Amino acid sequence: MMRLILFSAFILWTSLASAQKFMTEEGKAVFLSEAPLSSFEGESDYLAGLIDLEQNLLDFYLDLNTLETGIGLRDRHMRENYLETEEFPFAEFTGKLDDVPSLEMNQQMPVKAIGKFKIHGVEREIEVNGFLTWVSEDEINLEASFEVLLSDYEIPLPKLVFYELAENQKVTLTANLKKTQ
Amino acid sequence: MKRSLFTLLIFTISYPLFAQLERKLVNENLPVELTFHAPRHINLLTVEPLDKKSMHFAIMHTFGPIDAGIENLFGLDNGANIQFSFEFALSDKFSAGVARASTDKYYHVFGRYHILQQTQNDNMPISLSFAGGGGVNSSNYDFLPEAAPNFAERTSYWGQLMFARRFSSKVSLQVSPMFSYFVDSREIYQIDGDQEFYLALGLSGKIKVTDRSSLTLQWIPNLNSDLSNNLGIGWDIEAGGHVFQMYFVTSQALNEPYLLAGGNGDSPWEEFRLGFNVNRVFATGRKKGKY
Repeated sequence: MMRLILFSAFILWTSLASAQKFMTEEGKAVFLSEAPLSSFEGESDYLAGLIDLEQNLLDFYLDLNTLETGIGLRDRHMRENYLETEEFPFAEFTGKLDDVPSLEMNQQMPVKAIGKFKIHGVEREIEVNGFLTWVSEDEINLEASFEVLLSDYEIPLPKLVFYELAENQKVTLTANLKKTQ
Repeated sequence: MKRSLFTLLIFTISYPLFAQLERKLVNENLPVELTFHAPRHINLLTVEPLDKKSMHFAIMHTFGPIDAGIENLFGLDNGANIQFSFEFALSDKFSAGVARASTDKYYHVFGRYHILQQTQNDNMPISLSFAGGGGVNSSNYDFLPEAAPNFAERTSYWGQLMFARRFSSKVSLQVSPMFSYFVDSREIYQIDGDQEFYLALGLSGKIKVTDRSSLTLQWIPNLNSDLSNNLGIGWDIEAGGHVFQMYFVTSQALNEPYLLAGGNGDSPWEEFRLGFNVNRVFATGRKKGKY
């Protein structure tokens, strides 16, 4: 029993000791849809994220209701018919870095994240390539991009609109994360 | 002791879970959207708002009664009432429009204001909007033996409150107490009523059948006249930026004063006719990402 207490205390201590935690609530997420007849972008400035270099934990989510394409009706159709945000309001990624880099000031380091991406209620294992840069005393910058195949996440693409909406959506994330305790 | 130990254990083991960010909506009170497919639903206006600086164009037709038979292609040969309607949103809450209908060559201005919007978390259970307008009959009455009506006598006005609720993603209902007022309701005008003031209750229903189409219903019981009630049943289809609305309805009227005063025949089946609206919203484009 004593051993258990010590073990628990140790776990707790190591968890609390992590100081390399960076967070944001205002990262930028952009998706680009390139279909034969119509290309458009949607974007949001509400990407929330956590990078914990000590524990090697990545956790990001986006409130999909905040995505805007510049046309209100298109946004409403996107929310109602495709993303179904009332039921599935968030896109989420939780994972870790393949290899935790040692960051040096103003040096862009390539990183690879492995984890679970969830959107429209469907979760899949994905890999995301990006860059981490230590930009100031308590701030790191993240740039990452990946592709989302709508059919992978059971988002239906009706035949009638295939020329207006791309099956393959290119997602780009940009965020400055601040050091927190 | 055992319990506290257990709690400690659970806490420490689940600590990495706590380290995950808590999922929070940016706006807790998200509005319910697409209560109806378009700002128009068969012949009535809806609570469906327009984005600031966007324009809604509707071209609406109602043909002759179906009982005209095959030789008149079920009323399509018998002259359509056509209304062109342009509505421009000055803000996300207020829009103003102009319309022109063939019946009595009626020119019409109107406004719509959204007072309340239903939220997904039900903090606000309904949407409430107001609409009102006025118009003028511009038909030429020079052929009449008596003096033609002057401008004021040609005008009519209307107003309505629209209470709507989307009960689920499939079913929406709107109840609209409405009035209309004709300064002079002459027999020569294409209305059956002979009163000046009309009260009615507009009922609009939507039942979503597929992702992009719905069964639509309209029933407008008259509250202070002997005219029969307006009944409409139709099908809405969303296709890209267009919303097509096909329906059968008991009146050729396409605007509020004529819907209330125009009459619907002696029995619902006598005046049943085909109608067709095309709705299109033109967006002028907004800044992206600034939610």
